[in-house]
Amino acid sequence: MDTGVFLLILAWGLYAGCIYILLAIGLNLIFGVMKVVNFAHGELLMIAAYATFWVYYTYPRINPYLIIPVVMLLMAFLGVLIERLCFRPILGTGKLNEIFLSLGLIYVFQNLAALLWSAGSRSIHSPYSGISVSIGAITLPLDYVAIIVITFIILVVFHVFMKRTTVGRAMRATSQNREAATLMGINVERIDMLSFALGSTLAAVAGSLWMISGQMVTPYMGSIPAIKAFAVIIIGGLGSIPGAIVAGLTLGIAENIVPFLMQSLVAVFGLEMSFTAWKDTIAFFILIVVLVIRPTGIFGEKGE
Amino acid sequence: MNKKYRYGILFTVLAISVLLAGCVEKPGETPGGAAEEIKIGIVAPVTGGASTTGTDMWQAAVLAADEINAQGGVSVNGANMKVKLIKGDTETSREGGVKAVTKLITVDKVDILIGGFSSGITYADQVVAAEHKVPFIITGASSPVITRRTDVDTSYFFHHCPTTDDYPDSTLLFVDDVVKPAIYAKFDFDDDRPLRLGVIYQDSKYGEGVYDGIKKTIENNNLNMEIVSEEKFKMSETDFRSVLTTIKAAKPDVVYPAAFLNEQTLIVAQGRRDVGLNTIYLSVECNDDPDYYTGVGEWGEYSIQESRFGPYANPAGAIRSSVLKFRDDFESKWGASPGMMGASTYEGVYIAAEAIKNANSVDKEKVRASLAELEMPQIIEVMKDSTITFSPDYRESKFALYMQQLIMDEAAGETRPKIVWPESVKETDFVLPDWYEPGAGGA
Repeated sequence: MDTGVFLLILAWGLYAGCIYILLAIGLNLIFGVMKVVNFAHGELLMIAAYATFWVYYTYPRINPYLIIPVVMLLMAFLGVLIERLCFRPILGTGKLNEIFLSLGLIYVFQNLAALLWSAGSRSIHSPYSGISVSIGAITLPLDYVAIIVITFIILVVFHVFMKRTTVGRAMRATSQNREAATLMGINVERIDMLSFALGSTLAAVAGSLWMISGQMVTPYMGSIPAIKAFAVIIIGGLGSIPGAIVAGLTLGIAENIVPFLMQSLVAVFGLEMSFTAWKDTIAFFILIVVLVIRPTGIFGEKGE
Repeated sequence: MNKKYRYGILFTVLAISVLLAGCVEKPGETPGGAAEEIKIGIVAPVTGGASTTGTDMWQAAVLAADEINAQGGVSVNGANMKVKLIKGDTETSREGGVKAVTKLITVDKVDILIGGFSSGITYADQVVAAEHKVPFIITGASSPVITRRTDVDTSYFFHHCPTTDDYPDSTLLFVDDVVKPAIYAKFDFDDDRPLRLGVIYQDSKYGEGVYDGIKKTIENNNLNMEIVSEEKFKMSETDFRSVLTTIKAAKPDVVYPAAFLNEQTLIVAQGRRDVGLNTIYLSVECNDDPDYYTGVGEWGEYSIQESRFGPYANPAGAIRSSVLKFRDDFESKWGASPGMMGASTYEGVYIAAEAIKNANSVDKEKVRASLAELEMPQIIEVMKDSTITFSPDYRESKFALYMQQLIMDEAAGETRPKIVWPESVKETDFVLPDWYEPGAGGA
């Protein structure tokens, strides 16, 4: 394989990994604090993507990058609503209730989106889509570089928030030991709400960046990114933010690199599989390997 | 809470539930005269993932029915019978399709069925129509297997939709006739050099059907083309960069995706912007849609779109005025532009009316025989020999497909298709863009 092509594929994997990381960290945060698995997290990305589309076409000529903070606010509000009206009333009533609730939310969001925007594909255009940037031996669209940079900034801000702020420390305390956190005077219900809002905000960034990168949104597109996000948090370790980052990048890069490598296997063994099917195969292959070797995930704690 | 109170609440909840369950939306129907009416079942995905297409089909059918009824209806045995449409929502699923067709036949007692979007869904629900021997004018399924399968009696099925064999037939003949000479003239290639074709197709019956059609077209017409790369992708894929990199490495002159709108948009945009595969991209007709032109943006410029009816193209010649009238009437009635499936379903209603008139009866066997012998002028889609007729072997009508090139419209801020082939309906000449890069070698 040509070195330039290899580096280009690595760069694409890095950009794809950014979307997975943002989604997975939000999912991890919600699980870490509330111990709730939100199966509708992919639908939050989908709703955020539609919100980006809606603002973009309601206010023509607006730079889509300026829409990101608006969508973050909208989705934070939605996250608060979901936590308060849906998960709060059933917390502690059993895992099955939580699972069915989030599965129900999937259908509610999908059909709401179909009702509001129809089932057709929607997209927006970045004003920079025609601009490419040369980085060493490769040329990348400016939007991809921006996405990687924005994700890095978000991760740094998130890290500082979790480590250096009172609310961040309270979230970490609640995720480590909810009872002890309560005894220490932390309002855990308020932390639940803030965690869900923050998780939704991260999904909002993922959704907006998804649209800016030239992707399309349909009401039913949330499931695949959600499955990949689940794979990321399991590979990285439930509740582990560094694990989600490492796993997200690994997955994004592996998905792009491995199909090329499998081409040689196709030639040798005559295996017929669609090129892009290899991408999904490798994601879950990595998941299985990690679970077999280290069931808690790369950075996971025992007992999770 | 005492028992009586609890039972009271339970009874009330149950009673309200039963009441609400009965308050379902009546299946869409158009008003028809109660006594003398022709009942047509419109089989379309009005809900679910393909609801946009299904709504288009239903709205076009209603327009046709209203026009026919405004002209007095259909003359049958001396009486003027009104057309009454009944909606059969397939819910974009096989199960929904079977349920819808079963209800249309057994409960609504329709005289004829029209529609059937998605080959997979139609393949399932047409079995019910075959069992009950109900004529079915299929206007939304592209697989030729619909009328060629041997496990059911297909004699009642009439396929009024181009098939996956037809798409590549017109497309590659155009490429051979117009695109190849333009490339070879500009780059001084030998005429003997085979045109290098890259194919990327959806891993489904649709994609495989188009790919098989490509191979058949090259062989049957003895075209000097070779497929230098062929790659499959799974449905609804969003990242084509890696696979396009592989195709680029094979150095094609032209790339032929067999994809749906959301996939085609990303193939072209990612191919041009990310991978640098600056080639002529072809496209199957299902992407002739306003959402495609909006989605693909500048990256779709100069790409080729095969079609038979679209939101923007105005074929020259005899059919132009009827296309414009249909589009205007549809937009006035529904406030939206008609789509391709709507166009063929609109024609399907007129075909049914003509067949029933010729049969002088709504008897299903007589209508079937009438459809088999039907010859009527084309309506809003260009047909071979300007006539709508069904082949004697597999009851397929033959469309005269045209090719469009996407040209940037500065006022709209996005591309618009212009018909470049064949000569009879052409609007403008094909343009080979300056940024175009051919495949390998001149000899």
